[in-house]
Amino acid sequence: MSASTNAVVFAGDDPGDEMTLLDILDHVLNQGVILRGNVVISLAGVDLVFLGLDVILTSVETALKHMSSATLRAAK
Amino acid sequence: MAADLKNDRRVLYLYGITESRPREIPDLIGVDRFAPLEFIDCDGVVCWISRVSADDFETNLARNMENLDWLAETSVAHQRVIAAIARQTDILPTRFGTVFRTENSLCKHITRRVRGLKKDFGRIKGADEWGVKVFAMQPAISPIGKVRSGKDYLKAKAAMLPNRRPKPATRDEMVKFERALESIATETAPSGNVSRGQRGLSFQTSLLVKRSKRKRLESLLEKFAREWAHDRRIECTGPWPPYSFVSRPDDRVRSK
Repeated sequence: MSASTNAVVFAGDDPGDEMTLLDILDHVLNQGVILRGNVVISLAGVDLVFLGLDVILTSVETALKHMSSATLRAAK
Repeated sequence: MAADLKNDRRVLYLYGITESRPREIPDLIGVDRFAPLEFIDCDGVVCWISRVSADDFETNLARNMENLDWLAETSVAHQRVIAAIARQTDILPTRFGTVFRTENSLCKHITRRVRGLKKDFGRIKGADEWGVKVFAMQPAISPIGKVRSGKDYLKAKAAMLPNRRPKPATRDEMVKFERALESIATETAPSGNVSRGQRGLSFQTSLLVKRSKRKRLESLLEKFAREWAHDRRIECTGPWPPYSFVSRPDDRVRSK
């Protein structure tokens, strides 16, 4: 579903597609299998981070392209 | 992100768990953009890890997450690794920032949870997560005529403001839309902890959809988008690994 049509905007099927940073954080942060016990890290601070993110994130979306291309280069 | 292997203790960053090894093992770099992706067989499942700095991902994780540049780069890298594995086999993605000190402690935790994990594999089998958002579009602003009084000015200004209260018909349409999505999805979950403040966002959800129903989802979204062409815009992202449908224990997920 990488193409966009006139009617609806689709993103993400192609590995080259750029999901927005907001979408990535929406799905990645605070989601996923929770393994507790003596796991070293907990994300107790996440809610505090979110308070700031609501306000700040829209201004950094443009940084994504630069960052993801850097990640790709590193992965090669 | 310094990678001084001599002085920096390493911990295991866990990306997710699969039922078996895929035919092709993805050749990837992990969240620190340095250590390669590895896998560890553990109690009949496969754990996908990379060895990362304990300073960055254990001691200072909370502080690093408040650094937006670090958070953005690392979460993008986390997503890329999990998406690459998900393209080959079904994966239960682990929560961002889950690390273990040793392979032994990782395996102990997996063994303790393995029955629940096996059930989760059944739930997400052959399915992907999709994110759907609906945005209200701003009406075209008509040019302001001559303003002769304060009353004229306020009237003109009011005409420029978006109508914040949805019309009853709109609410009915949104209910119809949500029900139509639920008829295709195996499960739905609330989404948008981070993006809920986006301008004009009036509805968002995460859907778990079998790959065999993907075309139906596309057609449904296109149908509603055509009907709403003048006042609403639909955005759909995916396929995502099923991040929002494996967060147990959790009562946010609504199952059919």
